Amino acid sequence: MNLEVIENATCTFCGCVCDDIDLHHDGVRIHKAERACVLGTAWFLNHTAEKKYPVALVDGEEVSLDVAIETAATLLHAADMPLVYGMSNTTCEAQKECVALADLLGGLLDSHTSL
Amino acid sequence: MIRITGGKIYDPAQGIDGQVRDLCIDDTGKIVETVSGGRIIDATGMVIFPGGVDVHTHVAGGAINFARAMTPEDHRRTQAFIRTKTRRSGLGGMAPTTFATGYLYAGMGFTTVNEAAVPVLSARHTHEELADIPIIDKASLTLMANNEILLEQLEQGEYERAKQVLSWYLWAAKSYGVKAVNPGGVKAWKYGHDAKALDTPIDGYHRLTPGQIVTNLARICDDLGLPHPVHLHCNNLGAPGNITTTLDTLARLEGHRAHIAHSQYHAYGGDGWDTMCSETTVLAEYFNSHPNLTTDAGVVLFGDTVTITADGPWQHLLYKLTGRKWGNLDVENETGCGIVPYTYRPSNVVNAVQWAAGLELLLMIRDPWQVFLSTDHPNGGCFWRYPEIIQMLMSAEFRRECLKKLPDRVKSRIKLPELDREYTLLEIATAMSAGPARALGLTHKGHLGVGADADVVVYEEQVDIQQMFSHPRYVIKAGEVVLEDGDIREAPQGKEFLVRPAMDPATNDFIRPLFEDCYTMKFEHYPVELERIEHPDLRDCQPPATS
Amino acid sequence: MGGKVTCTLGEVKQRADFIIYWGGNPAECHPRHFTKYTIMQKSKFLPRGRKDRTMVLVDIRETKSAKAADIFLQVRPGKDFELITILRALIKDQPVRDEDIAETGLDRAAVEDLVRRMKGAKFGCMFFGMGLSMTRGKHMNSAALLTLAAEMNAFTKFVAMPMRGHGNVTGADVIMRWQTGYPFGISFNRGYPRYNPGEFSTVDVLVRGDCDAAFIIGADPGATMPQPAIDHLARIPTIVLDPHITHTSRLARVHITTAPQGISAPGTAYRMDELPMPLSPALKSPYPTDEEVVRRINEAIAKKPFWLPDGGPSPHQWTSQVNL
Repeated sequence: MNLEVIENATCTFCGCVCDDIDLHHDGVRIHKAERACVLGTAWFLNHTAEKKYPVALVDGEEVSLDVAIETAATLLHAADMPLVYGMSNTTCEAQKECVALADLLGGLLDSHTSL
Repeated sequence: MIRITGGKIYDPAQGIDGQVRDLCIDDTGKIVETVSGGRIIDATGMVIFPGGVDVHTHVAGGAINFARAMTPEDHRRTQAFIRTKTRRSGLGGMAPTTFATGYLYAGMGFTTVNEAAVPVLSARHTHEELADIPIIDKASLTLMANNEILLEQLEQGEYERAKQVLSWYLWAAKSYGVKAVNPGGVKAWKYGHDAKALDTPIDGYHRLTPGQIVTNLARICDDLGLPHPVHLHCNNLGAPGNITTTLDTLARLEGHRAHIAHSQYHAYGGDGWDTMCSETTVLAEYFNSHPNLTTDAGVVLFGDTVTITADGPWQHLLYKLTGRKWGNLDVENETGCGIVPYTYRPSNVVNAVQWAAGLELLLMIRDPWQVFLSTDHPNGGCFWRYPEIIQMLMSAEFRRECLKKLPDRVKSRIKLPELDREYTLLEIATAMSAGPARALGLTHKGHLGVGADADVVVYEEQVDIQQMFSHPRYVIKAGEVVLEDGDIREAPQGKEFLVRPAMDPATNDFIRPLFEDCYTMKFEHYPVELERIEHPDLRDCQPPATS
Repeated sequence: MGGKVTCTLGEVKQRADFIIYWGGNPAECHPRHFTKYTIMQKSKFLPRGRKDRTMVLVDIRETKSAKAADIFLQVRPGKDFELITILRALIKDQPVRDEDIAETGLDRAAVEDLVRRMKGAKFGCMFFGMGLSMTRGKHMNSAALLTLAAEMNAFTKFVAMPMRGHGNVTGADVIMRWQTGYPFGISFNRGYPRYNPGEFSTVDVLVRGDCDAAFIIGADPGATMPQPAIDHLARIPTIVLDPHITHTSRLARVHITTAPQGISAPGTAYRMDELPMPLSPALKSPYPTDEEVVRRINEAIAKKPFWLPDGGPSPHQWTSQVNL
């Protein structure tokens, strides 16, 4: 099998954030995560580019992304005290959008740290 | 397009001293000869300055963000910027949030700031924060005087190699220039020591001394043709008797250009805290006879603040003196930083000497093109308190009132009571805008000539100087009215100034193995990509033809 | 935060000849910590690597990490704070009674040996994990350890660092600090950030039933939080962004599948020592990134009426600051 290699990929599984991982992949699945530890290997190999889940669900029904985004915006906008929570397993770029969201809504903002 | 009519213009670079003229701004955000149409601002009876330029401040990066975490009690009591439909919320105070930093600077007419201390390793983070400071333009300086790889080249006497390595670092950090903090001392702090004497080899080296680092960095900055010379925080900051070290350091510049940061902290006599006194006369005299040097005062203002500096050993001393919170962050192979909250009190003789010394330098260095407004924010006080300094500079009477609050035993240790000089508006415009812009080599800032960036501040002339400079009537940034009648109207994104020095392409391969030996991240991930800078204003540097 | 004396991990790699792990199990939870950053590295200052370093593990049980340690100190559960306090006394030569030491599960010889080694180090570093910060005493334990590290600098170079886990939780902490001034537990309900853990922290908010909608991203509180908190999430409109259908997704009104960070979403993540690392995704996801989805939600909300009536300044704004 001919695998493509992404050199110096970064693992975000734990706080070590190792940035020296070589990922061997076939476009759908990562087959080998060189230099990753046992936790990092599981993290990389368990995610695929397959479409395993619906793009979005509203009240359990499959919907388009546009509908889900509009529904989310409507529900959050209607709330008096919305909460924005989590932000561990995501990028800094998304985290900045989350802070902007809480700021825009006048809501609450919190991460795993408070646990 | 904007035409500002009827205002008294203070433009030191063009020698315009309060003449009434029209000022025209085109749609590209530049000053032009004339415009037809567009908005007309009637500035009759008002005072017009080029937008303020802060040559030395700490507003973004790991250290100030550490300080934010350490001071929640201050955030709660301080000025809050309420969210509007278009503008993010923020908090002011000792360590303002990024959004508030932009509002507060623009709110007093400052449109360009220089973040004075960035480790290369935190450059990626610092640029993210700088991008979140709205309205104003930004530059940042890279910490170089304790860098393992660079110091090793200097130890070996490899000047050319050192120059290449430094160029590589500046470009990797997407930096505007070189900052030197306590040369060799922060490196020694990695094992709990300091470097106090300019001619003693630094811990861990056979030959290299702090004095040699100073000479070499000043020379490299000049040889590379950097727009801003070496920006130097001398050894022995804050220590009684440090004037000897400071003068010794200045002598090591050997005629090269240099900017001496927060010189107030380096102008003390005495041999202990009991005898500490101001030695600003001799330091001011040095500046008066050396036009190759500029400085910012690093004024201390009474009240609460949080001190942050790359000078780790000094902060450990301050922690031991105060018993307050202490933050310390040693940055691998490059530098360190320390954070200690502090309250300057008029009743404390040491603080009173510091307060006086900052003002003395501003008053005794004769040429306002050489000495600039700063508090070394947040170290001596917060930047949003600059209008208090302006009032003290413009009114000897007000200074005398302030002096009455000091204990009598401080009077023999300071020179301030003897100084009658009062700054004119033109001199204020020089010290807060034209001078720092020129020292930074920002040719399109700090003046209102045709082709300059249309960064303009309009004040209502008032008897209450502090009120006048705290609350401009209009602030225009790159041709856009960002503040009007005391309210931030727009929060556009400013630019970031970067330099690209000439560099031997082989330097990358030279540094790689040295880097891999002592760092913990991949070499490829270390340089900040140019694409990460949102609005870069890039200048290629060439060595001056004469060198 | 009461202060922290710390460093980046490269300083540990370069200089730390004495390393304590306290209440953490790096061998199983941060498997490359030893090899990449701490005990196994050789450096200019510690050329023999492992031989030049001493490693101490303090924990309530002998985990796999104990095998890597030179010294394992088994502290009695819930007695970390007492042990740290005893160390703070002993480094300053203050008297400590035998029975107080015995209460921690250790004997005087072991504790005094530790103090001697700490003071004899050229560069000491203490890493502390959830076994310290999430057990009896919680943040008081962390504060005590950080104080011990600060006080050790009267004798030699010493630093401390939390062993943060949970992916990019450090990034969230760093970004919230620069944008709001606070690291977590924030309320914007007055139009500007306020901070009060215990009031604005999520478990407390949910258990009290204080929020009327929830946006959950990069976390699965439906699997980890106390039942009353989960019950409230099910009562209110909850929106989840996650690469998987999670426990929280199942009780949510809206679930949006997103690309996992670092695998198929680009961006940045912060290491535990607050250094940012760029991500290099290998796969192309059929799903959008978190960043894109949250931005689009923000844009959709921005089109709706703003919640403050005029969006203008309030009486709090632009008042002069009193700072004395």
